Amino acid sequence: MQRQSAARLGPLLLLLLLPLAWGKGPSPPRAAEELQVSNRLAGQAARVALHYLNYRLGSPSALRALGQVRKATLKTIPGIGHKYYLQFTTEDYKSSLNVGTCLATVFYLKRKPRPAVNINCTYTKDQKQIREDDYSFYKKMRQQTKPIIGNDIPDSYGNIEPALEPAWALAVAGSSYLMWEKSTENLGYFMAQVKNVKQWITKDDSIDFDYSVVLHEIPTQEMISCHLRVIWTPGHPLKVKYFCLSENQWSESEEGSGTESGSTNGIFNEKEAHF
Amino acid sequence: VKWCKTKGVILLDFWRRPSNPELPVDIRVPFPSLQAVKVFLESHHIEYSILLEDLQVLIEEEKQEMINNQRRERGTSNFNYGAYHPLDSIYAALDDLAAEYPSLVSKQTIGESYEKRPMYILKFSTGGTNRPAIWLDAGIHSREWVTQATALWTAKKIASEYGSNPSITSLLNRMDIFLLVVTNPDGYAFTHTNNRMWRKTRSKISGSLCVGVDPNRNWDAGFGGPGASTNPCSESYHGPSANSEVEVKNVVNFIKSHGKIQAFLTLHSYSQLLLFPFGYKCTNPADYNELDAVGKAAASALASLHGTTYKVGTICSTIYQASGGSIDWSYDYGIKYSFAFELRDTGRYGFLLPASQIIPTAEETWLGLLKIMEHVRDNQ
Repeated sequence: MQRQSAARLGPLLLLLLLPLAWGKGPSPPRAAEELQVSNRLAGQAARVALHYLNYRLGSPSALRALGQVRKATLKTIPGIGHKYYLQFTTEDYKSSLNVGTCLATVFYLKRKPRPAVNINCTYTKDQKQIREDDYSFYKKMRQQTKPIIGNDIPDSYGNIEPALEPAWALAVAGSSYLMWEKSTENLGYFMAQVKNVKQWITKDDSIDFDYSVVLHEIPTQEMISCHLRVIWTPGHPLKVKYFCLSENQWSESEEGSGTESGSTNGIFNEKEAHF
Repeated sequence: VKWCKTKGVILLDFWRRPSNPELPVDIRVPFPSLQAVKVFLESHHIEYSILLEDLQVLIEEEKQEMINNQRRERGTSNFNYGAYHPLDSIYAALDDLAAEYPSLVSKQTIGESYEKRPMYILKFSTGGTNRPAIWLDAGIHSREWVTQATALWTAKKIASEYGSNPSITSLLNRMDIFLLVVTNPDGYAFTHTNNRMWRKTRSKISGSLCVGVDPNRNWDAGFGGPGASTNPCSESYHGPSANSEVEVKNVVNFIKSHGKIQAFLTLHSYSQLLLFPFGYKCTNPADYNELDAVGKAAASALASLHGTTYKVGTICSTIYQASGGSIDWSYDYGIKYSFAFELRDTGRYGFLLPASQIIPTAEETWLGLLKIMEHVRDNQ
């Protein structure tokens, strides 16, 4: 009886203790296993952490891609799940330049639909520049009288029309939400292509896009078609609704989940509010 | 005859018109009218002789000669290796290479695809009889366009640098190289006409509406095991049986009948990985240490050019468990140096790698390939 309630509290305690425990001496001895940095599950977990980060940042100009995994540890918590402790470098999504290092935990829970992520990153990219780039995209979209439309971004030859690049980046940010939700310890995703983008001209402050995207699923190699609705105001959480062809209903992101969005002084600190 | 002409009932094409009864008349007779014309001439006792039996044959020959001439003039120096090309253009480029470097390069067929497209390989050889050889293939998964493009660039590289590059020269003085640029031509054609993301072959599957088998789950290595699907509609469907796909069977037959293949190298994309067996089981091959060392040396050489980092390891530990793969088959068959490259990038563009990255990818991959080939050459 007592053991059961302890098990229920376990993950909650672990998460609360995490910011204190991280980097402070040896990890709690609990079936911990150091992984090789080339381990595919470590890389996969790092990518999940970045999907979460890209979604929470909600900024097309601040998207990050995985650089190199520097350190990876896997903790098996019997009956609960697998928790990855990761340190990895990141690159700017567009330029591929190194933009900082992240520490993250990715917790795949047996009984929860999506991985619980905790991620801290350093940021070497100029925050002011990011805000300006975001705002200039936002302004341009707000000023459209005719809705932006586009197909096949990138096209078969890997080309992205410069005018459509920010809309593509927003699709990456929106898809990040969906890829985070769908990821499991063994199933990972990449956004392969935007098949279609269509802007909705709105009367309010937001910009509003309809996307059809194709995700590449690993290791099954399947190409998953999803429909995304992304609503964005710079500095606010991204609102994402999605529907993938293998699913029966729409899924939506929470609105105003009570956590801070945006970054301060180049350090971004985000905690998963619930799991 | 003039009367015939004016009548226009039988369509005759006068090459030399009737003018003077002393002079002959030359007529091109369309086949349907041939009988009638002969009868007419004979019944009117008009002498005739046949100058050309079949004009069409000559036209075809001339057309071909023109093409050959164009090729020789254009050469392979005008072909844009930094662009993606449809199948016909790639096949033309193979002919161009063979024409431009006739003493080194020859084109052979190893069979046909499911939809009866030829599967062409290039043989790089400086002579000898059935020398030990290196096998390199690309495009087994048709949507991985950077692989076919890289293979074509590599062909040009090998051909043009034999004689000047000491490494390639010493390699080819002892060994042959066989290069299959488009392993899955049906799939490749389909990525141009219908679905850029097509991966499999285009074979019809009995009892299913879905088409195609994953050719890299179809080899006889742990066939039907984990990491391959039994569902014909799946991208990793292994097919009804090992080697059921003619594209795979053709390669297997070639390798077996050659008998002296020392290395089996295959190109995929994307992920930036250099892999060796096994995929069908998660245990290390007997030659793990050597393959890992060679792989790491190759990855290091590759990275030296543009800084592109590759991870090296067995298929199972580095990418995922997958049965029925080509390099597992080749390794179990006895070809120790079996490697698979997953080329650029790591997911930003994925299969849709911009053409501007073809040549940088090919250049760096070449350094990796060369490292492996040198090791094979030195360890025979």
